[in-house]
Amino acid sequence: MRTSPFLLLAAVTFSACDSPDPITEIEPAPLPEIAEEPAAPAFDPTLSTVRVSSTRQDWNQRQPWEKNAPRKRRSLGAVVSDTHVLTTAEMVTDATYLELETADGLKLAPARVEAVDYEANLALLTLEDADDDFFEALVPLEIAEAPKPGDVLDIVQVESNGIPLVTSGPIQSLDVISNFLPGQFFLAYEVKASMQKSASSFSLPVLSEGKLAGMLTNYNSDDQISDVTATPIVQRFLDDAADGSYEGFPSLGVATTSTDDTNFRSWLKLPEDNGGIYVSTVRKGSAADEAGLEKGDVILTVDGMDIDRQGYYEDPELGRVFWSHLVRGSKGAGDEVTLGVIRDGEVVELTATLERLQAAERLVPDYTYGKAPNFLIKGGLLFQELTRPMLETFGKEWESRAPLDLLDVYENPEAYEERFDRVVFLSGVIATPATVGYEPLRNLIVTEVNGKPVRDIKSLVEAFGATPADGLHSIRFDNQDFAVYLDDVLATNVDTQLLQRGLTKLSRTE
Amino acid sequence: MRSLLLFLLTLPLAAQQAIPDKPAAAPSEVYRSVVRIESAVQVPDYATPWNSGRFGGGIGTGFIIGDNKILTNAHVVSNTRRLLITVHGSPKKYPARVEHIAHDCDLALLSVEDFSDFEEFPVFDIGGVPELESQVRVIGYPIGGQRLSVTRGVVSRVDFSSYSHSRADQHLVIQIDAAINPGNSGGPVLQDGKVIGVAFQGRRDADNTGYIIPTPVVRRFLTDIEDGHYDHYVDLAISTFPLFNQAMRQALKLPDDDIGVLVTNVVPSGSCDGILKAGDILTAIDGNPIDSAGQILIDGAKVDLNEIVERKFAGDTVQLRFRSGDTWHDRDVALKTLPQNRMYAIQYEKQPRYIVFAGLVFQPLDTNLFATAKFDDINVRRLYEDYLSEGIFTELEDIVVLTRIESDPINSQLSGFTGKVVDTINGEKVTSIKRAHELLHPAEPPPFFVIELLGTPRPIVIPGAEVAAANERIQRTYAIDQLSNLEE
Repeated sequence: MRTSPFLLLAAVTFSACDSPDPITEIEPAPLPEIAEEPAAPAFDPTLSTVRVSSTRQDWNQRQPWEKNAPRKRRSLGAVVSDTHVLTTAEMVTDATYLELETADGLKLAPARVEAVDYEANLALLTLEDADDDFFEALVPLEIAEAPKPGDVLDIVQVESNGIPLVTSGPIQSLDVISNFLPGQFFLAYEVKASMQKSASSFSLPVLSEGKLAGMLTNYNSDDQISDVTATPIVQRFLDDAADGSYEGFPSLGVATTSTDDTNFRSWLKLPEDNGGIYVSTVRKGSAADEAGLEKGDVILTVDGMDIDRQGYYEDPELGRVFWSHLVRGSKGAGDEVTLGVIRDGEVVELTATLERLQAAERLVPDYTYGKAPNFLIKGGLLFQELTRPMLETFGKEWESRAPLDLLDVYENPEAYEERFDRVVFLSGVIATPATVGYEPLRNLIVTEVNGKPVRDIKSLVEAFGATPADGLHSIRFDNQDFAVYLDDVLATNVDTQLLQRGLTKLSRTE
Repeated sequence: MRSLLLFLLTLPLAAQQAIPDKPAAAPSEVYRSVVRIESAVQVPDYATPWNSGRFGGGIGTGFIIGDNKILTNAHVVSNTRRLLITVHGSPKKYPARVEHIAHDCDLALLSVEDFSDFEEFPVFDIGGVPELESQVRVIGYPIGGQRLSVTRGVVSRVDFSSYSHSRADQHLVIQIDAAINPGNSGGPVLQDGKVIGVAFQGRRDADNTGYIIPTPVVRRFLTDIEDGHYDHYVDLAISTFPLFNQAMRQALKLPDDDIGVLVTNVVPSGSCDGILKAGDILTAIDGNPIDSAGQILIDGAKVDLNEIVERKFAGDTVQLRFRSGDTWHDRDVALKTLPQNRMYAIQYEKQPRYIVFAGLVFQPLDTNLFATAKFDDINVRRLYEDYLSEGIFTELEDIVVLTRIESDPINSQLSGFTGKVVDTINGEKVTSIKRAHELLHPAEPPPFFVIELLGTPRPIVIPGAEVAAANERIQRTYAIDQLSNLEE
């Protein structure tokens, strides 16, 4: 659906181009005088931006042996070097084919992802074929000085006929927001400008005086506000990716809440004249945990910056910014951050060495882009690993509607981390002769198969590999005091039939 | 969720019109004993539990089954404040009252203040369970007119199914294809001059379906109340899993005879607690073999194994044959009611319990509250779901939820706390609404009341010295006459 207005525009353009030619032939008009020396060499954004077309195809979380229908998306990327283009991560998620196209439409080249940060929503592309002359006529953008609220930014779009369309608007405010993945907060500008839609998505370079200031990630046409990933984030991403191996933004591992409430403050024995934010959770094993930060502590300063009651500090360059930017935005893994903490009325100074927590290290990964879901089908029982994309299949309101046992793992992973590396659950029962009577079983967490603990899908496959002497596999579930059984011979027969019925494979353990 | 599709057959009071002033044509003799019941109700409001609630009313049907005994549905007379009975063709309204009410099987027995006018009326006999496809007549006062209405249909199905009045109960139900409409509720369903059921609910998602309460359920109710009070249904309080999978039977070393179900959960303090345990295999109840789907054969028909218990009373025993480990047992189980099951049943004739403290409104979780406030919080849902099966009730008599915060300077900076379960108050576990009240009203107010809720980033802190003034202010501003009600 999204591509149809685009096709329409192209058609109109062609007809407009076709007709003038014969007229010119009949009535050759005298050429106008053109001044030889051009006025100031105007900055041409079309030489520094390229179209990015991506074909993306994600896995079917419910039928994990197959993929969903592919979808296409187009946007505009920023040329940041003689070999690289910057775009948003959401353009390249589960990409099966990426293609760059110059604004004038004359050159096309297949591309690949060199670095991607799904959390910060940035991706760096380069050409599949390093010898391609795609970048020959292109002019890389420099990175701008970080703009301030009130500065005017230029949002670049390119019409389908190659004409640049620049929309200017002031930075209304600047704050940490999550623009792609929930719970991932990064500094962004809110730019007020009324835009038209000229590509299938709003993923666009934003310039400040001809230099790259950020990437536009969202545009809300109701209030005409765009979210633009801030310059420091873009700069840090490019610096990190420059050596060819991308590490990502580190994290501290805490959740905080404000101390606005005066009753709460006096209970915490916080002085009336300062700020501070209350530490509500410290993730086990995180940088904050290692540094000795505890739930109930109140963070007064971060790297010497005073944190106010809502968690903001006065940045000398950016103005009022949420404290998390001091960790996720200005620092890399291995860097240190100093926390001034008030605990039981005493001020303590803690130093945390930041680290990068990979999504895959979590018990329940928040995202699984580019990774096919692990699963096992045994006799018609479908086992899968619990991930957030899996939970999201329970519908828009999954956070309140998904099965409680599964949500509990997502919300309280600490209670499960000892026993599991990934939580494997029975996600469905394909009706087969081996699963007669098992149809009501669903969304049960698997703890044991054939007496062996199940820590992830791999150990599940191994456990099923050792068939007990009586030829019956036993499966035990969390919070259930009974086992269900599968006949090995029957299950194997059934599995063969499932393969004949069009299932491409019976397991994936990657 | 299926129960949402069922609707009860009471006619809202607004639909009634003036009683016709001329006497009706003489009806069949038996029709005289089918009465019209007009109930004025007051339904408590769980959203603002200190308020009087909503006034309203409805029309239903009842019928005479004995000397000053009028049978109807519980939902016709629930939360009633005034009951009036009229007979066919007469304008006279007879004040009536509820003698016994059973919300779990949707039946109630009424009496009128003066039965003398009814003494000559015929009395309905209670019959048996009708055959499939046999014809029945439904008599009542449904919408569409003022006079008595009679419809006819056949018995389509006899099944174990949901009773939507309490939302939590399942009993035997007869489905018929006669038109049953709002106002029919509590009316008799006749075959060969005998009552074979009481019309009680319909279905929105299917045509030609009416549901009636069959006579085994009616008889059980009448027997239960013989001692002067209603004791509720008893329950085995176990969950079972079918055993028709061959691998399952092999692994459990069961013969291939399609007998037996697997016990998967035994409710703590329930009838079978200490007798059965998860993993046991139940094979017979009162000598009736239990098939692998949990069905038994009674009177030539396959019914749920619970049907045996359905017909028994508190203190009766039931004999279970089961295998535990490798040992076979035959045990007599004394049947008990499961009072904690009230968590899942809509409550009637009850005053909502609550505490208002510094503008914070605390209420015990039950289905009435759940129906009023949509709780999405995982802890609320988890405790509600596990309350019975996991025996949460042995630790928590009530699950106390912070439902509202009425704005006041003392609490104006609290947000994101409503809809959460109260865990502790000043470090003490909150096990009931009464306990919460005690903890919030110590002899000497502490410097701070620290209220920890499950799943919130921080506790609620209320300065002890400011509570009295705030309570007084809130009571006045929000017209809250009583700051708490701890009794139902």
